[in-house]
Amino acid sequence: MNQNCDLLTLRSVSKSYGTVPVLYDIDLAIRDGEFLTVLGPSGSGKTTVLRLIGGLEPLTSGEIRLDGQDISDMPINRRPFNTVFQDYALFPHLTVAGNVGYGLSVRHVARKEIAERVAKALELVQLGRFTERFPAQLSGGQRQRVALARALICQPRLVLLDEPLAALDLELRRQMQEFLKSIQREVKTTFLFVTHDQEEAIGMADRICVMEAGHIRQLGTPHELYYKPNCEFVARFFGENNLVAGTLGETRGEFRAIETALGRLVCSVADQPHLKAAATGARGFAAFRPEALHLAGDGDAGNRFSGAIADLAFAGSSTVATITAGGDAAQRLRLRFPSRMDGSVLRAGETVALSFAPHEGHLVLA
Amino acid sequence: MIVVPRLSTILLAAVTGVVAVLLYSPLFVPIVSSFFPVARGEVDWSSPTVSTYVALAGNHEILAALRATLVVGLCTVVLAVVSGTLLALYYHGRRAGRSLLQFIVFLPFLTPPIISGLALLIFFREIGLERSLLTVIVGHTVFVLAIVYRTVLTRLQSMSRTLVEASYDLGATKWQTFWRVILPNLSSAMAGGAILAFALSFDETMITILVTGTQTTLPVRLWAMMRLGFSPDINALVALILMFTVLLCALAARFLVPRQIATQRS
Repeated sequence: MNQNCDLLTLRSVSKSYGTVPVLYDIDLAIRDGEFLTVLGPSGSGKTTVLRLIGGLEPLTSGEIRLDGQDISDMPINRRPFNTVFQDYALFPHLTVAGNVGYGLSVRHVARKEIAERVAKALELVQLGRFTERFPAQLSGGQRQRVALARALICQPRLVLLDEPLAALDLELRRQMQEFLKSIQREVKTTFLFVTHDQEEAIGMADRICVMEAGHIRQLGTPHELYYKPNCEFVARFFGENNLVAGTLGETRGEFRAIETALGRLVCSVADQPHLKAAATGARGFAAFRPEALHLAGDGDAGNRFSGAIADLAFAGSSTVATITAGGDAAQRLRLRFPSRMDGSVLRAGETVALSFAPHEGHLVLA
Repeated sequence: MIVVPRLSTILLAAVTGVVAVLLYSPLFVPIVSSFFPVARGEVDWSSPTVSTYVALAGNHEILAALRATLVVGLCTVVLAVVSGTLLALYYHGRRAGRSLLQFIVFLPFLTPPIISGLALLIFFREIGLERSLLTVIVGHTVFVLAIVYRTVLTRLQSMSRTLVEASYDLGATKWQTFWRVILPNLSSAMAGGAILAFALSFDETMITILVTGTQTTLPVRLWAMMRLGFSPDINALVALILMFTVLLCALAARFLVPRQIATQRS
């Protein structure tokens, strides 16, 4: 599949329930063959996007195009998409085989062909032995896989997954993430996966679309979102982060200064023309990840400041120190460093010199 | 579970036993006595017999009443299940006039049967419909409709909305979704409602007395016979009906327990 070709595009799509708007002018292009995750807190409108694409809800305005053709008014049962529902929505009165074959059977495919394709689909999700079971006799993970097989059997152009892992326990969820990803690679179908769990999003997605309050905040690879968030919301929502408020200063090459309570900090603005172009004096944040912050050595150039260690939390392979800095108790920073067998060198209450390299910090506008 | 001391357990068992005996022993009297002859108003316990059952088979009035009851019951069930299900589907579709519909369906079930019966009687006379088993069937259907409606609606409401969405999503039409997803998931509720409706129709007396024509149903016939005193074959009849009722109740319980629970238990 050509990943650079757009399969589905949403153009200024809006949705209101009565007078309550839930989506504002959404533009989104889904590439053929990609694993796109829509990530957002509850109430961000991410499930609505999925329901609009699936045809479960009508658009309020805007249009949805498939291969360039407007499908906004195409009825749900004619759209070449299939959904894996959050509660799986398996038909309780049908066996596993009956459930998986349903999409073929309502299209009057010959019985023999249905049997063959059902067997193949169940083989794919490793449930070959369970054809005659009823959904009530399966575990959560098995139901999940039946729902996936049922969605894949009609060879949809796009598979819509509505938080399908939410009901599973942690260990099973991890397994299912890998499983889903491998299935997606195997069938080479486009997956649109909705979740509120950013760890899940990072682990599976080719690209992530972050939504908040009915708007798309950013669309990019997990790496881009992590290192180049384009707004405060994404910077805070996507992974742990340190944000220090300030006003933008001068730009020098690929770096720009920001005046903060911790002093003048210099951060990278590479490939982010909107940050280079922003007016001097504009309000913004210096953002740097807990793993980018470290104890300053003598020869350390870069952004230096001091802070007091408020708390230390051992988290297995790493330890996280919570630090107050800049004389403001509300300004808390996190520093993550590898744990050591002989205990931490840091003590709570200690004041330490800290630094982070300019190329490991970035800016976001307020 | 609550831990109960040993003595209390025995006491509880004794009370339960006494209540059970008081409640259910009257039911066994006709069953037992149906197997003994009655002479001059006294049961002769010395010689068991099935003669009452033979006499029952020859009692044409009773048999005709029984036949009428069954005909009325079956017709009522069919009418009530079809219209009750349709009403429940309509109500569930969230269209206008829902609360009014709910009210109208429940009204005949909640009003005293004598009022419903009189209202129907006046209505039938006004439209010039001769009283017959047909009017009885209409009366019973109006009366039991609420039961079927409520049973089916409860099942509909407990059915996940996503089942219907999943069906459409997989390419099914509305019609296919109805026949392949909605109806199969309602069928056990419909069967349960049908059994309850049949049981209600079977012993309905008040409305029947008012709207029936020359043919009578079993409860009405028994009612009429009270004045003359019971003949021994009534015992046999009661025994048969009791057995039949127990069977129906067992079936209803079987159908009204959702399938998922039933399979999980096995």
